[in-house]
Amino acid sequence: MIVAEGLTKDFRIAERRPGLLGSLSTLLTREYRTVRAVDGISFRLRAGSKTAYIGANGAGKSTTIKMLTGIMTPSSGRCLVNGVEPYRQRRENARSIGVVFGQRSQLWWDLSVPDSFQILRRIYGIPDAVYERNLALYRELLDIDALGTTPVRQLSLGQRMRAEIAASLLHDPKVVFWDEPTIGLDMVLKEAVRTLVNRANAELGTTVLLTSHDLSDISAICDDALVVDGGRVVHEGTLHDLLRRADRRSVVFDHRGGPGAQDTVLRIETGLPGATAGLTNEGRIRVDYPADAFTSRHVLGFLLEHFELADCYAPEPDLETVLRQTYRGGVPAARDGGAV
Amino acid sequence: MNRTPGGHLRLAFFLGGVGLHRLTAYRLDFLLGSGAFLVRVGLQTLAVGVVFTHVPAIAGWSYPQVLFLLGCSLLPRGLDHLFTDQLWELSRKLIQRGEFYRYLIRPVNPLFSLLSERFFHPDGFGELAVGAVLVLWAGAELGLDPTALQWALVLPLIVCGALIHAAVKLFFASLSFWTVTSMPAMQTVTQVSEFAGYPLDLYHPSLRMLLTWVLPFAFTSYAPAVYLLHGSTGLIRWLPVVTGLSLLAALSLWRRGLSRYEMTGS
Repeated sequence: MIVAEGLTKDFRIAERRPGLLGSLSTLLTREYRTVRAVDGISFRLRAGSKTAYIGANGAGKSTTIKMLTGIMTPSSGRCLVNGVEPYRQRRENARSIGVVFGQRSQLWWDLSVPDSFQILRRIYGIPDAVYERNLALYRELLDIDALGTTPVRQLSLGQRMRAEIAASLLHDPKVVFWDEPTIGLDMVLKEAVRTLVNRANAELGTTVLLTSHDLSDISAICDDALVVDGGRVVHEGTLHDLLRRADRRSVVFDHRGGPGAQDTVLRIETGLPGATAGLTNEGRIRVDYPADAFTSRHVLGFLLEHFELADCYAPEPDLETVLRQTYRGGVPAARDGGAV
Repeated sequence: MNRTPGGHLRLAFFLGGVGLHRLTAYRLDFLLGSGAFLVRVGLQTLAVGVVFTHVPAIAGWSYPQVLFLLGCSLLPRGLDHLFTDQLWELSRKLIQRGEFYRYLIRPVNPLFSLLSERFFHPDGFGELAVGAVLVLWAGAELGLDPTALQWALVLPLIVCGALIHAAVKLFFASLSFWTVTSMPAMQTVTQVSEFAGYPLDLYHPSLRMLLTWVLPFAFTSYAPAVYLLHGSTGLIRWLPVVTGLSLLAALSLWRRGLSRYEMTGS
């Protein structure tokens, strides 16, 4: 359904020198620097999958989506969406995709939402039955009628996003690309948006590619994850596998009396070689250990033996922890506290 | 569905309707736009009139003839204005603010998609009306009696003139794919085009060359006016070629721009 093969995008950026003299000299001799935003990434997403496209800021997510939607042409490599090369057959591609860029509007600025929808209905040649069905759905879930006949430019961010989301699904696209689709939405609307896309996926088999800074969007919508870092794919598979990939587990505990924090850390790190310990923000001690060296039972046993535990738990590896670890090349999260 | 020319045409009618609808929604804007334009052309006519109170003819042109030429220049300009005003937005901000992408994600020709966002720009109506009044009044004053061929060519002349205006605008607006904004270039070219509203015989040969063969605005006003007034066909014979080449140059630049478009921001 969506295939990328060695997809690469370079940007040529003009170097500007600071100051008035600098800008004058840039006028005469301009130097360019090439920045590789996407570095030969390859992946394959099956039809009907719901994939989270995950990566730190500047990882090349938006650039990839712009190539997949046909907005930009790759510097090298290629991609296929529904068997079509998007930037070569733009109109062909546009017919079967729906797009939301949370930061940008694609609606008609000086028209109302109903007018915009009427135009989209004609542009995509949406059959009456489909149009009515979708509109009924948007009324129920997004309260779209409440937007009334206000021109889009006068809508609030949340109101506009509701219209953008609806516009991207109006023509029953085979694939939706959503880049930060829940900006400005409150919890209730976020929930509605998730329901909407999950329903399209269940009933019509819509393929979903999503980026979001809100990790709960990802957990609520996606089954699969594609993680990019530094312009390269570092994980392609299910979200579940991504969580299991966490190669470090942790145990958090409180202890009464005994040695001070410094000493405790030292004793743990010498007693459990490979593990790291640190003070959490709540004043507890957090032990991170490699999953292949110890079991939690082993670690707990060690702690029970050496300290007088008041409270103790072993948190599930969560998406945030795993991602933080992935982005930073495996630096344990506990070091973040800075207390070590 | 809309891949066919017919589909685009039906869509154009619908969007034209939306454009007219918008006119009524922004009535004040419409009145201001047309009003300001009327004042401007009125002053222009007056200024030319003042000159002619001192001399009977300029470079062989009488007062009604000059007004006829001015009217001729306004008709294609107005027609073009009705359909391609959105190109100004392209040169001003669509690339700069990363908004241009929306024309690339719809199953409609991107140029059509862009232009259709502002069909029936109000100022165009003013130019067409004033142009028609000037041409008819001056024609009657001069006792003009066009041949059948001249009558038949009036509409093609206006359409070709409008296409030349559109091509030049598209060319300079497309530069923004490289330069991010091309508003200053567009403004300069528009100012140059104003020269074509007066007899070319007034100008230095270099400016005449520029207006004929580089920015071919002479073909939107001077050449048709000379043909309709005197029946001289020297320049007008080149009109189809010039129109074709202008469109070709503009459309190829536009297409190259599309393929190198880089959407800014996230």
